Amino acid sequence: MADILGSFEQAVLLAIVRLDDNAYGRAILNEVAARLERDVAAGAVQATLDRLERKGLVRSRLGSGTPIRDGRARRFYAVQAEGRRALNEAKAAHDSLWRGFPRPLKARG
Amino acid sequence: MADPPKAAERLLRALLPPASVDAMTGDLLEEYRATRVPAAGRRRADFWYARQVAGVFLRAYGWFVVPLLVTVVVRDLFNTFRDASGASYLDGLPRLALVPVSPGVAVAVLLATAAYGTWRTERWAGGVVASLGLFVVTWLFMAVWWNATLYPFAQAQQTNPYWIQAWQWSTHRAHPPTLAGFNPDTPGETFLRWMFWDNVGALFFAGLVMGAVSIVCGVVGSAMGWTCRRLVAR
Repeated sequence: MADILGSFEQAVLLAIVRLDDNAYGRAILNEVAARLERDVAAGAVQATLDRLERKGLVRSRLGSGTPIRDGRARRFYAVQAEGRRALNEAKAAHDSLWRGFPRPLKARG
Repeated sequence: MADPPKAAERLLRALLPPASVDAMTGDLLEEYRATRVPAAGRRRADFWYARQVAGVFLRAYGWFVVPLLVTVVVRDLFNTFRDASGASYLDGLPRLALVPVSPGVAVAVLLATAAYGTWRTERWAGGVVASLGLFVVTWLFMAVWWNATLYPFAQAQQTNPYWIQAWQWSTHRAHPPTLAGFNPDTPGETFLRWMFWDNVGALFFAGLVMGAVSIVCGVVGSAMGWTCRRLVAR
């Protein structure tokens, strides 16, 4: 079993899956911020992407630049088989934790 | 097209490993131009950009800041809360227990940060910026800490004969007439006001000393990091 993914790692991985061929830094940042409904630091996303790449869960390649970026290259990310497995395991662990509970939990007292 | 502040962008470049520079600065530039400036205006977009740069710094070097902040807090606590004779409680501790909060450790942390910065970014400037950044964060923390603790600490200090004597000496001593036109004797000075200006002076002096030390450590630590990298590469 792979390492259990943290919730932010899951958010980043799922953003890459959703964005598919358009998964580069800024798009991932905005997707994660939209899903989590809060402002997200670019450095946090970048650090997570670096960590996921070191773990072998994602792979990156450099794309071309655009005028709005002054021609600077975009780095595109793709989730690897190991990354998809880790996401599925995280989902299964999450579901297992909630199994048997009525949702939403009722407040007591 | 609008550009983010040049200094912030240069700083960001000095903080990133070479492989990430283009992609990361490009992402921030694109977000700045395409979203932040049109939505919030130039000034707020600049502030957002500066926050992102600060975030990158803290993520890369945040752990190095911790021992420096602990040193500042511990030393200030022991400086403030003394026994009636003025002796610091820190003086009674064994020498080994003082090592973690000694100036030597602070210098070692600055050197290590600079060495790591150069190693990580593969640039001398990366190490110097890391060391200077550490100084800025620590200095800002000192400013906040001293302001936040001024009043409660002064309340406790006013019950200690040592601090009362220090206040009296500072406000009523006879000063030599060398400073023409400047009379530091201020008999009407309240304890709190005296303590406030003492903190301001200490903050200014500590800032000068720490700034100079962090530049020297930045250069020396960068040389260490650079040498290590070259030795490993062989």
